Amino acid sequence: MIRRFLGSRALRKFSRDKLALVSLVVILLYLGVAGAVGFFGFIDREDTTDRIGPDNQVGWFETPTVEQRIHALEFYLDQIDGALGRRDPAKALAAIDFFGLRLASTDPDEVGETLDEVAEPFDELYEVLEEDAFDDDPANEERLGDVEEGILGMFVEPEGGAGRFRRLALAFGTDRQGRSILLRALYSIKVAVQIGLVSALISVLIGTLLGGAAAFFGGWVDAAVVWLYSTFSAIPYIVLLMVLASMFLGSSYEGTLVPVYVAFCSTFWIGPCRVIRGEVMKLRELEYVQAATAVGFGRMRVLMKHVLPNTTHLMFINFSLLFIGAIKAEVILSFLNLGVKNEPSWGVMINQSRQEVISGFMWQIGTATFFMFALVLAFNVLSDALQDAFDPKHV
Amino acid sequence: MWAYILRRLLYNIPVYLGIIALLMVALRVNDPVWGFLGKNADQEAYEVKKHAMGLDRPFHEQYIGFLGELATFDFERESWTQQGRTVGDLVADSIGPSLAITVPAMALTTLVALVIAILSAYTRGRLPDKFMMVSAVLGMSISFLVYIIFGQYWGAYVLNDRLGTEVFAIQGYESGLANWKHYCLLPVLISTIVAVGYDTRFYRAVMVEETNRDYIVTARAKGAGKGRIMFVHMLKNAMIPIVTRVMITMPFLVMGSLLLEVYFNIPGMGRALYKAISENDFPVTEVLVALFAGVFILTVILTDVIYALVDPRVRLQ
Amino acid sequence: MIACLCVSALLSSLLLGSPGSAHAPAEGARSEKVLHLPMRSAGPGSLDPIMGSTVYDNRACVKVYEQLLQYKYLKRPYELEPLLLAKMPTSDDGLTWHFELLRGVRFQDDPCFEGGKGRELTTDDVFYSFKRFVDPENELKNWWLLKDTIVGLDEYKDEQTARVEAGKAFDYSAPVEGFEKQDDYHFTIRLKEPSYSFLWKLPMFQFSIVPHEAVEHYGKQFARHPVGTGPFLLESWVENKSLTYVKSPTYHGSTFPTEWMPGDEELGIEQAAGKPLPFVDRVEITMFVQENPMWLEFLSGKLDYTQVPAENYLEAFHKRSRRLKKDFKERGIVSHAVPLLDFIFRAFNMEDPIVGGYSAKARKLRQAIALATDLYEFNSTFYNNTNIIYDGMIPPGLDGYPPDGKGPVSWLDHDVERAKALLAEAGYPGGKGLPVLDYYVSRSGNIPEQAELFKRQLSKIGIRLNVRTLNFAQLIETINRKKATLFSFAWSSDYPDGENNLALFYGPNESPGSNHFNYKNAEFDALYEKIKSMGPSPERTALYEKMRDMVMRDTPFIGSMARTRFYVVNPWLRNYKPDETFYNWVKYMDVDESRRP
Repeated sequence: MIRRFLGSRALRKFSRDKLALVSLVVILLYLGVAGAVGFFGFIDREDTTDRIGPDNQVGWFETPTVEQRIHALEFYLDQIDGALGRRDPAKALAAIDFFGLRLASTDPDEVGETLDEVAEPFDELYEVLEEDAFDDDPANEERLGDVEEGILGMFVEPEGGAGRFRRLALAFGTDRQGRSILLRALYSIKVAVQIGLVSALISVLIGTLLGGAAAFFGGWVDAAVVWLYSTFSAIPYIVLLMVLASMFLGSSYEGTLVPVYVAFCSTFWIGPCRVIRGEVMKLRELEYVQAATAVGFGRMRVLMKHVLPNTTHLMFINFSLLFIGAIKAEVILSFLNLGVKNEPSWGVMINQSRQEVISGFMWQIGTATFFMFALVLAFNVLSDALQDAFDPKHV
Repeated sequence: MWAYILRRLLYNIPVYLGIIALLMVALRVNDPVWGFLGKNADQEAYEVKKHAMGLDRPFHEQYIGFLGELATFDFERESWTQQGRTVGDLVADSIGPSLAITVPAMALTTLVALVIAILSAYTRGRLPDKFMMVSAVLGMSISFLVYIIFGQYWGAYVLNDRLGTEVFAIQGYESGLANWKHYCLLPVLISTIVAVGYDTRFYRAVMVEETNRDYIVTARAKGAGKGRIMFVHMLKNAMIPIVTRVMITMPFLVMGSLLLEVYFNIPGMGRALYKAISENDFPVTEVLVALFAGVFILTVILTDVIYALVDPRVRLQ
Repeated sequence: MIACLCVSALLSSLLLGSPGSAHAPAEGARSEKVLHLPMRSAGPGSLDPIMGSTVYDNRACVKVYEQLLQYKYLKRPYELEPLLLAKMPTSDDGLTWHFELLRGVRFQDDPCFEGGKGRELTTDDVFYSFKRFVDPENELKNWWLLKDTIVGLDEYKDEQTARVEAGKAFDYSAPVEGFEKQDDYHFTIRLKEPSYSFLWKLPMFQFSIVPHEAVEHYGKQFARHPVGTGPFLLESWVENKSLTYVKSPTYHGSTFPTEWMPGDEELGIEQAAGKPLPFVDRVEITMFVQENPMWLEFLSGKLDYTQVPAENYLEAFHKRSRRLKKDFKERGIVSHAVPLLDFIFRAFNMEDPIVGGYSAKARKLRQAIALATDLYEFNSTFYNNTNIIYDGMIPPGLDGYPPDGKGPVSWLDHDVERAKALLAEAGYPGGKGLPVLDYYVSRSGNIPEQAELFKRQLSKIGIRLNVRTLNFAQLIETINRKKATLFSFAWSSDYPDGENNLALFYGPNESPGSNHFNYKNAEFDALYEKIKSMGPSPERTALYEKMRDMVMRDTPFIGSMARTRFYVVNPWLRNYKPDETFYNWVKYMDVDESRRP
């Protein structure tokens, strides 16, 4: 098959399709990120769980509202204030570190003095804001600028690579827990690819083999396969998931992705299985199959060499559908809080931000949706192009 | 043909018995009674409930009892979380709202998807095809949940706010044809937009596959019009995958409508099932799943029968 | 067959519904006063008070049913007043309580009564309703409320259960030693031990007075056909969707209270004072499983009030001053903050081999975990700083709550350095040697997200958590079987007395009882038995504090937090003072239909 693919015609045809090439690049990029995260620790898990700054900060190119700015400042003030109240304030001040953003001075007296200076104008501005009177006086804007300078001036940004990393991590803003949305979305690529690949591959494999065998051999094989998929598909997805979730309860797989894989595979294989069974039922009546059997080839050989290869296009379509399906089903699972645990994922992000839409904070839901959108789109376009390329009869 | 149908039915009885056994075991892995009792549970109340529900009887007795219930359509067991309501009432009340969403959604989706798929296959490789496929794919590249959240916010709240009148209800359900547009159209549209991409791609692939069959080549050689080939010859031969597709989507409708029902406050089956599972309403879960399995098996039989009807080459044996 | 069923159901749902009845209000509907209220849940499970347990059962029941006592609507701190009684019950010793019923109270008209006319309520109805607690038919769901309380009731329960098991009917006419009837309006109840908290139980909706005719007539269906003495009749209940009530024409007519707290005048209460209840003709309640649609419905003026979802809080309120924002104020919306009697905590299983036990080592481990936990971050991240964080288990506003929430034994100052030191003293320097701890949480709402934060906080001292998210039923089961090492849980007080929360640490209540910590301390248990029979007094408060600190030293939980629930009310709704301790406030509400958009 690989030889056939590399054999010029399909490849040439494929390489003419610009859109497909772009998609391929996108997918490779995603796979690259997934690999970098998964194998080389490009993003640590801590990077996706640690606070990088105040909560619900907007990303690049959006100007924060006055309210958002004041809340951000309040966050920094609370951090410093909290540290000053500790038994060992110097140590607590030194421990303040948001991805390299640290206090310029950790001397409690010095910090306390600066704090006293800014706290009063800050509180005044806060009061003005909460009286809905901020816009009444244009000088407020300037005052806020001064306070901002005063408070943020107590911190030093990290330099060099660390500084660039920090700025990049803030590109898409922060979530409710002050975590970097971009880093979480990037890390989720790994999770998505992992879930998509594993579930789709296993499902298509199982589905094709069982479906093909069932239709080709008929008899008790068919009966057994039909019984199996009837049983699995007859129990609704959600019940199956809930039961699986409780089955894994207490085992060492709980909290990993294994329950998700098992849940997806145990329902996903049914799709390819039925489609391929239907297709093979037709194929086995065709002359060339009949001929191959008549010539005396082993039945297994006929199935593997002559029948199943003719269902490749269905396998591809099913693989791409299930890959996408898995990524999207993960969102639903996360909505039911049954999905990915102990790691970020697009589903987790979308689920956590579904209330924020009404209040107009779209960064988290937008970022997760966009990352997912690009991958799913690219995957779709690519598999279409592949299908076209593989089709020798197409004019 | 009737003999075939009868044979399929008989054949599926053991399948169903197996499913029920499996289901009953699965639901008893974790003791359902504790979960039900809540924060002030004590041992005595536990025993009473367990006995009252017959869960202390040997498994085979419970199994036979449950089969009897299913065989006679006697769903008189009372819900654990909804006093005074039997499982039968619950099914009867929630089936209407569910169907009011899912059936129109499925019909609309299949219709739209088939039309786009045929047009797309017809203009294969050219601009209209590319445009339609890309838009289908754009539509399916966004999560259902995101569609619902934004659909409800923009499609109902913001739209009503801008227009000053209520076009779509933000949530709610009333039966009756007159209310259908008001309460159900928006969820149906959302669900169609989500599903149409999947179906279009699938049908197009099937159509494209069909264009390569020998008989099409022959038909074309004989000078049959392209349109006629598309809509008559190919559609007929592509019927098997299409029927299979429609059939297999049906069970997933329960899952799909669950989210819609939750967000749009539609008292349907998906929500009933979800509520039953998450609140440990044991009898409701058991019966709903068993019924669902029954319906599912019937669709399997129906699919096989339609296979045989549509494509005479499929042997009935 | 099933396909036929489906098709006919579809057809009937599409065709048989009354067209146009739903969203277009009928002509002249404005003359009728209608409340449109939300319920943030899938709704009640039962309208039979004896089968109820949740807040939603409570809210649905108290519109139809009444109890002997009720909370004063506007008075804070809470006080009780008679509802079906002519005056407050009296007792000389806290053991024997004398009751006098209000005369002329009739049950609502219903076909279950002879001639369809409701009869007068008498002493027998009270005893009947209380005996229902022990009927095995009712699954003993609320038996915990009366267990070991009334003289002879436990014995009555055993006798009757034996009868039922022998195949005979439960005998409601058999006497109970502690129930003494003087006449149709006078009776006494004798308790096993002197108790004042007994009175606090009487306003609970489980103690509603029901007529035996309705129970007998409707059987299991009684849960859906409530017949009480209350201000409203149930018109319809559509599962998972709505509840509709109409004014009862035969209501015995209580009046709007004439005493209130300073500040309540703003609710427009003066003009209502002394007027007969209820004010409205219809009450329509819609259930919401998701918060988004509820909030949108409120914003578009379809709901008269709503609680404010935490995620939408900053849309409506300024963060620091908790004042309403401009556009809400301009629409005439009013806000209320209701502190809840909450005890939100993260608990240790005291029987766990690692985190449990009473050795210095185990105690230090728990204290290290408590000190590493930053409840203030939880408060700002998930609750917009509206929670009250406090030491101990007794929620704000009750005796035994430490001043400003800070007790003498406190683990609230998120102190990472001290936590690390304690962890090392416990024998796990930097978390070494400590296995990954299983942390069990419910999967509802944002609780899994909160678990992520907890995990991050503990990782700072080297403790690793494996978060296990379960549905509520599974969580309860895991806890009841003493299998949960560390878990998140919350307790809402059943009545406003710290005793209710102290009971959570009473040894004999261990799992599957309400002592989910499986905390055992003989000294504590002895004190608990003592305070149970004490009335409110400084001595009792001192004991509460002693018991609280005793538990805090053993640190079986990390906590605590109490939520504040915020309500926003549209300008046309009047007299509404939200509360979360009692729920019969709908009868006090009034609506100005002319101001509705």
